[in-house]
Amino acid sequence: MLILKNVTKSFGGIIATNDVSMKLKPGSINAIIGPNGAGKTTLFNLITGKIKNDAGQIFIEDKNITGLSELQITHLGVARAFQITNIFPSFSVKESITAAILAKNHGLNNIWKRFKDHPAQEESKNIAAITGLDEVFNIQSDELSHGDQKLLDIALALAMKPQVLLLDEPTAGMGSEERWKMINRVKDLWKKTNMTLVFIEHDMDIVFNVAQKIYVLHQGEILAEGSPKSIKNNQNVIDAYLGGGQKKNEST
Amino acid sequence: MEVLALLDCLSAPACLLSQAVGGLKIGMLLFLVASGLTLIFGVLGIINFAHGILYMLGAYFAWQAMELTGHFGLSVLIGAIGVGIFGLAFERGLIKRVYESNLLIQILLCYAVILIVDDLVMIIWGDEFLSSIGVPEIFQVPPLFIFDAVIPPFHLAIIFTSLLIAILLWMLMTRSRFGSLVRAAAINPKMLEALGINTNFIRYSVFVLGSFLAGLGGALAASERSIVSQMGNSILIESFIVTVIGGMGSIGGAFLASLIIGMARSFGAVAMPLFTDGLMFLIMVLVLILRPRGIMGEKK
Amino acid sequence: MNVSIKDSFKKDAIYSVVSWIALLSLYFIFNDHGIQDIITKVAILGLFAMSLNILIGYLGLIAFGHATFFAAGAYTLGLFLQSDFIIEYNIGSWSIPIALSLSVLLPGILATIVGVICIRLREIYFSFLTLAFQMIFYSLILALVGITGGDQGLMGGFPKPPFLGIDLGIHFHFYAFTTFIVILAVFLMRQIIESPFGYGLRMIRDNHERPAALGFNIRSHQLLAFIIAGSLAGLAGSLQALLDVGAYPEWAFWSKSAEPLFMILLGGMQTFLGPLLGALIFELLNDFVSANTRYYGLILGLVILIFVLGFKKGLLDWIVIRGRKN
Repeated sequence: MLILKNVTKSFGGIIATNDVSMKLKPGSINAIIGPNGAGKTTLFNLITGKIKNDAGQIFIEDKNITGLSELQITHLGVARAFQITNIFPSFSVKESITAAILAKNHGLNNIWKRFKDHPAQEESKNIAAITGLDEVFNIQSDELSHGDQKLLDIALALAMKPQVLLLDEPTAGMGSEERWKMINRVKDLWKKTNMTLVFIEHDMDIVFNVAQKIYVLHQGEILAEGSPKSIKNNQNVIDAYLGGGQKKNEST
Repeated sequence: MEVLALLDCLSAPACLLSQAVGGLKIGMLLFLVASGLTLIFGVLGIINFAHGILYMLGAYFAWQAMELTGHFGLSVLIGAIGVGIFGLAFERGLIKRVYESNLLIQILLCYAVILIVDDLVMIIWGDEFLSSIGVPEIFQVPPLFIFDAVIPPFHLAIIFTSLLIAILLWMLMTRSRFGSLVRAAAINPKMLEALGINTNFIRYSVFVLGSFLAGLGGALAASERSIVSQMGNSILIESFIVTVIGGMGSIGGAFLASLIIGMARSFGAVAMPLFTDGLMFLIMVLVLILRPRGIMGEKK
Repeated sequence: MNVSIKDSFKKDAIYSVVSWIALLSLYFIFNDHGIQDIITKVAILGLFAMSLNILIGYLGLIAFGHATFFAAGAYTLGLFLQSDFIIEYNIGSWSIPIALSLSVLLPGILATIVGVICIRLREIYFSFLTLAFQMIFYSLILALVGITGGDQGLMGGFPKPPFLGIDLGIHFHFYAFTTFIVILAVFLMRQIIESPFGYGLRMIRDNHERPAALGFNIRSHQLLAFIIAGSLAGLAGSLQALLDVGAYPEWAFWSKSAEPLFMILLGGMQTFLGPLLGALIFELLNDFVSANTRYYGLILGLVILIFVLGFKKGLLDWIVIRGRKN
């Protein structure tokens, strides 16, 4: 369970996140929507400890993780994939996932074993399989297609065996068909594991179809939250965002 | 460390004044060289590890011009302009090709140029020390005695000339269209290109300006010191120190840092003659640790 | 699985032994002190360049003060062998092994101190800070005349008492011993680079931001790499001091740090043995050019330009990439 209590962050006087509270059920799948600059990625950065909040508290289960470092929070079971693909260009898929598995277990400190013969190589196969990367298992990351690079980014996060997985626009830069393929894969992953999953997404069709709970972020504040149905009918959301958002999607 | 010697010097007006003037002279000449280095880094994003040879070439060119013309001012000017032209060829011919390369490639390119130019200089002018080109006639007068401090008028002339150049440089950077283009290029070159401004022109003119200043520094220094191909080495290292302490890309910072280093050199020679260089590097380390952007560097 | 772990380890061990035997045979094939000494020098310089390439090629840090540790190793060895300590405690035949161990240990400690401070900075700032530390070290060597001999270097030689039947005064013994130590160090580096730790270094080189989100602490990793690289450079320096029976302040000057950079460029940074090949080319070039012309810098500079502007990568990298494509 991930809980945010009145989390606030400002950058040089500009408020990026204002008094945000959230309560994510264990094993749930949640979406965050909102226009560009609403503070979605900042929220992820706050949860993972990449940046520190000015006020408020963040909990995983009963543990207060406010103020902990990114490293500590990662080890407590929060993993993320990035909006702009964030991978290791010279590593093959196999090497990348193996390295991520080892990173989680402090295995990278080992100087006496051989990386290429490490048992974690076997484990990486499973993760590649559930993310659909088994066919490109031995390809170097910078030679992968855009979609596969996004998948690899998620696979790296999965290698952490997280309790909470944060996906920042997993479908960014994709065509409509590709997007659905991607999100179905994500949903599939979520079903297979019992993670709490949060994803940021612009495509409303996807959000309403996949998420159990939706948070609408607007200028750093939570404008509305609830089931897809309640969000669809929320007048505030329609006025402030949804109308514009739907038009934007139609035009793309 | 000779603390007592330093205290003695600081409390005696004669020593204090003569060391201070000496420090000013060192600092101002250093500024001529370092301001170009920092400017080139700010605009081109390149650390010109070969900046020392520009200084050295300035001295050789001026020496050659002096042999031919016998006129001091003209020789210094020819030295500086000659290095400016050399800088143009260097930038267009070589540096241009490594803008996008990594730091290692840039360092090695400059290292290669240092090796080549050092040898070419040896082939042309021989490997013996050349004698200094001498002080112009009007300054060949007995030194001034102020508070018993011995102060050669020529040192004052060098200080004032360099100061004048510093002011001109400052005006060029803050008051002219060229200056605002240069500053814009340092911050956002893509924006300038989008506005249809030729950033290539800005790049090489900055490189030429930096070369000209370094050449001028070398030519002026040649008036009193003997000339040798390695003379660029120590000033290169000092210019790095100035660039880092002042803040990479900041001309004002380079000015301040040059003065600090000039004084540290001058008074350090009294206090710890064998560790003056070490002292300067110690200052550099402290600045890098406490304030990596330097005293006047801007956060990017 | 366990079998194959031993396999790749064993394979490298066998390569190492075979290389050593090959080098020993070369000694007798070329019955010429000139060529034998070139091999010794290449081994030492190669170790120096390879230790730096841990930082440059695998970690992606352009360290510009690596000669600090080379010189530290050289002076440690020389000063220890000259010290009264040896006579006082009657160390005698153990003095060389102890001196070599100290020449790894002390530069390692120095690298820890320098590293802790330097790795806080990135890119050019890191390079400048390593350069500054190097120049402080250089100034100290010049300033502490009473200990180091100042700008004259560590003069007066030192004894090289035989140990375990090895007498470094005998030319062949010196050759065999130096090549053995270098191959041992290279084998150790190979293990480090191919270990999970080594892949951690590559991760940091490839992407500076992502490791933290994978729970991977890059600072301690960088520091350990810096210490290992510094210690091995110290070992290279101590072997150089044994060879020259002295130590010189130029070994701590910035141009000494430029040399291994150049070797890495020549040989290649993405291939494990690239810097070693670079050291070979560098030494041959050195020998050939200085034997045939006074204008050593001119030729060397032109060669660097060809590599920097032409190949844009080292020879071995180039060969390996060509090989992969075909």
